Amino acid sequence: MNDTHSPVIEVKNLCKTYFMSGGMSQSVLKDISFSIEAGEFVAIMGHSGSGKSTLMNILGCLDKPTSGLYLLNGDLVSDKSELELASVRGHEIGFVFQNFNLLMKRTIADNVSLPLIYQNIGEKERYERALRMLEKVGLTGYENRFPSQISGGMQQRVAIARSLINNPSIIFADEPTGNLDTATSDEIMNLFTRLNQQGITIVLVTHEEDVADYAKRLIKISDGRKEYDGLRQSYQGRQEAK
Amino acid sequence: MIGQIIREAWISIASYKMRTFLTTLGIMIGVAAVVMMVAAGQTVQNTITESFESMGGNLIIIVPGQSVSGGVRTARGRPSVTFSDVDSLKGMKDVVAASYIVSTTAQAVYGSNNWNVSVAGTTPDYLTVGNWEIDRGIPFTDRDLKSGNPYILLGQTVIDELFGLQDPIGKTIRLNNRPFTVIGTLQPKGDGLMGDDQDNIIMMPATTLRQRLRGSRRPNYADVAFVKVSEENKMETVANRIEYQLRARHRLKEGTDNDFTIRLMTEMVNQARNVGMILSILLASIASISLIVGSIGIMNMMLVSVTERTREIGIRKALGASNRWIMFQFLTESVLISFMGSFVGMILGVVFSQIGGFIFDKTVPISIWSVIISVSVAVIVGVASGLMPAIKAMKLDPIEALRYQ
Repeated sequence: MNDTHSPVIEVKNLCKTYFMSGGMSQSVLKDISFSIEAGEFVAIMGHSGSGKSTLMNILGCLDKPTSGLYLLNGDLVSDKSELELASVRGHEIGFVFQNFNLLMKRTIADNVSLPLIYQNIGEKERYERALRMLEKVGLTGYENRFPSQISGGMQQRVAIARSLINNPSIIFADEPTGNLDTATSDEIMNLFTRLNQQGITIVLVTHEEDVADYAKRLIKISDGRKEYDGLRQSYQGRQEAK
Repeated sequence: MIGQIIREAWISIASYKMRTFLTTLGIMIGVAAVVMMVAAGQTVQNTITESFESMGGNLIIIVPGQSVSGGVRTARGRPSVTFSDVDSLKGMKDVVAASYIVSTTAQAVYGSNNWNVSVAGTTPDYLTVGNWEIDRGIPFTDRDLKSGNPYILLGQTVIDELFGLQDPIGKTIRLNNRPFTVIGTLQPKGDGLMGDDQDNIIMMPATTLRQRLRGSRRPNYADVAFVKVSEENKMETVANRIEYQLRARHRLKEGTDNDFTIRLMTEMVNQARNVGMILSILLASIASISLIVGSIGIMNMMLVSVTERTREIGIRKALGASNRWIMFQFLTESVLISFMGSFVGMILGVVFSQIGGFIFDKTVPISIWSVIISVSVAVIVGVASGLMPAIKAMKLDPIEALRYQ
């Protein structure tokens, strides 16, 4: 993990505009700036179409901003090539998706160790590290099963184990409880909280207030602009005052 | 990295066993067809060559009459080459032996058995010229030729048909109701060029045949003559000398056409080889069509696979796979499918060629080149047909791919 005082993520005047045929354009992110320190648990919240997913895609190095700067661990990533971005994704970032995104024809161990293939890590080490990660998320003994043989909650835990395996600087979770029932959602969010307590930086993208409650800090996006950035509790207090 | 890509590609294609098998089948059939067709062409080529060679190597054939004169086909086979013409060639430089044949067919009878047989009236030298070997007994001699003695040599088929397991030596058989004594048997030669049985033959002195089986107003004329030359590279020279000598003996004036045709066995063998080669190429080309169809099958399957696995591609990209990695994985999958198909196809091609050879009683050669070329072609086909789907996979936007349902 990184030094607790240096920002893992630094975003300055980030804009994203989609250009369409006929000279039309749509501005999705407008002048967003913030930084995230190592060890933080941040929820990015916003309604559907607010631009939160686009922001997460840029932060996750799956997309590039139209303008502005994005520094990951002090390294400017907004100008990197496709190959370099792939390397950043493989080494620095862990993803957890709403619909788990596991490879259904591969075993749990194969799924968990998948990011290590792109780092040229040998099969034996991959397997051993997968077992360690599965232990961390409470799935010891499930390594040789297939995703279809376990519950949705377990599948999301497999996805979390996969996001942790490359020892990333930050984990991006995009609506991680969107496909889960309330009890399983709590279970997953408690797991995130526990991982954060161990020093892992987590950025959660959600539209659910209950889920955002698990984060300490909240960044609220509305219509492509940063509407709020501060402690979750303060935002709640402000909302109640309104 | 290559090892990891191959392993990932292998696991992916192994996950869709039936689809992979069906796709492989196309290439399998294509390669097997190419190997079999080339082998068939090669077998035909070898059979032609062997047939010519069994007639005797370094051979010059003199056929009476001119087959083509000024572009017009003239009466062919009009007797013009005499026994003494051929005898005069024996002393020529670089000539090993010279002989001639007068032929007919006759009904051979021994006891209650009878058999229709080709009869060659010839000279003792014909055994050397035509690569015939005496199996048992003795050959007839120049003295027998001079005297017209009724001595005959039997081919293996005639022995089988008339004598079965009996020993024919010393026995008398009747040819067109005239008695002939068997003094020797010939070693078997097998089928001739046109699939005719070369062992269905009886040889006797040419004079005997003229006197007893096929009389003629011009009894000393040969149907065809053969000259065996000491070395292959001297055949042209000897042919020229023969032409010169025969023209002189036939008193042909300058400017007139030959009344005989000289043909070199080497030329005929080369022509036959060319025909065989063209046949091989033709068969292989036809078989290649199935290889092309197979490759289209791979491309189709890979395109479907890319569409079906769009989300997988998105996941892999999100987890750190570069575009290049994705492209190579899909390309490796198509090459693996193609390679497996071609490998199995090659084995099937070899096995079926040999089975065919066994059924038709032929030695079927397997050209290592047909195997190398067909496997290489299959791998190239794998790359070519996998390239477009692989590029399609590479170009997928990870965000769009992750959203794909």
